[in-house]
Amino acid sequence: MPKSVKIFLLLALILQLVWHSFQEPVVAKAKDLAPPLSTRTYVMSSLGEPIAAAKFLNLWLQAFDNQPGASISFHQLNYPRLTQWLDTILELDPEGHYPMLVAARVYGSINDPEKQRIMTDYVFYKFNENPNKYWRWLAHVIITAKHELKDNELALKYAHALAEKATGKNVPYWARDMKIIVLEDMGEVEAAKILVGALIESNEITDPYELNFLTHKIAVLEKKMSQKRQSVEK
Amino acid sequence: MFPQILTIARFTIIESLRNRLLLLSFLVIGISFGLVEFIGDLAITEHRITQVAILAAFLRMSAVVITTLFVVSSTVRELHDKTLEMILAMPIRRGNYYLGKLIGYLCLGALVAIIFAALLLLYANPEQVVIWTISLFFELVLVVALSLVMLFTFNQVPSALAAVFIIYGASRIVTSIFLMAKYPIIAHTTIAQQFMDGFIELLTWLLPDLHRFTQTAWLTYNTAEWSVLLPLLGQTVIYLVFLSFIALFDFYRKNF
Repeated sequence: MPKSVKIFLLLALILQLVWHSFQEPVVAKAKDLAPPLSTRTYVMSSLGEPIAAAKFLNLWLQAFDNQPGASISFHQLNYPRLTQWLDTILELDPEGHYPMLVAARVYGSINDPEKQRIMTDYVFYKFNENPNKYWRWLAHVIITAKHELKDNELALKYAHALAEKATGKNVPYWARDMKIIVLEDMGEVEAAKILVGALIESNEITDPYELNFLTHKIAVLEKKMSQKRQSVEK
Repeated sequence: MFPQILTIARFTIIESLRNRLLLLSFLVIGISFGLVEFIGDLAITEHRITQVAILAAFLRMSAVVITTLFVVSSTVRELHDKTLEMILAMPIRRGNYYLGKLIGYLCLGALVAIIFAALLLLYANPEQVVIWTISLFFELVLVVALSLVMLFTFNQVPSALAAVFIIYGASRIVTSIFLMAKYPIIAHTTIAQQFMDGFIELLTWLLPDLHRFTQTAWLTYNTAEWSVLLPLLGQTVIYLVFLSFIALFDFYRKNF
């Protein structure tokens, strides 16, 4: 092998290292949620696989708070824009319920009443589009309105809508009686437990991962409540 | 005539299997399995549907890419090694040679479709998986025929591969493009726009309706019935005949 090859190889490597040293250091920066593109764009970029694109976007959106090297909380997300994303995903996969779950139980469970209201409004809006399909998400949101937003009027409004509009055969009788949960002096944990229990009984929750997620949410609530109680007792 | 076709088909299969087609297919299966299990753990709900949707889309694309690569690379080798000239020096018709190659590659397409579908059986309804697999095979039939056409036309791997992927991609999304052009947000009436709209419409007439094939919704929401296969079979047969005669037209006019 000619000596020049070895020398130039070494020189090229040194040049690369020098070049890199002059580059601006990479800093982890949390990016804002960009507005979604049109549904057709996602259909085309996935080569005509809208459902796969929807499922992929679900996971991407869910993990948006964890960006490379930076972590932002759900509080920092632009919620009106988030609802646009959820809408796009639902358009790509109209049969899916994933966006409704995250709207009701993930983004709707943060400690920011204003943003929680955006999510409860969103779920209510989607419920009005198709009450017999989305009724169970409104049932979740009724509990959020009563116990987290402490807005009994809003919770009653949702419960009334559920009773009046969700009249399909697939909607169990208890769902039309959600007003009882709102009107009774019931704690949040009990109400959530009753709801999840009833959903399991009526075969609405069949996915073990969803069940795990909701049970975990209830456990977190229970822990919070007992901590609160202990601090009051002290 | 038939023994000649079958011999060429047999050797095409043997050659492809020696090129580690099976190994590559199993490698894709392994990667897909790891990917889909990881995805399943990320999903909060609809985890099985999420797994199936992403797995089906990934397997469909992988099947198309693997089949195209094998068809193009093994046929181009025959062209460059002068094996084709040697075969054509024997008392064999060019049409028989083409048919033998086509049948051989179709068997490989069927094998790839079956191997990939086996993984889907772990996640989706078996009846839906069978319908999906047959549809995937139809899709691969068109991919094989298209690869042969492009290879006979370009004689080069990069250009043939690029052409196959562009035409395949266009066939998958041309309906979406057509709908976007037909119902624009802002209506345009310029001649250029009308020309483009006309061109896109022409493409929808000329390209196969691949967006109707191998739909992920069949596996995620169990929506497929056996009757969906009939129009797909019709489209496959018509387009296979069309592509085959393009290939033969090019093949017969070539001087070796």
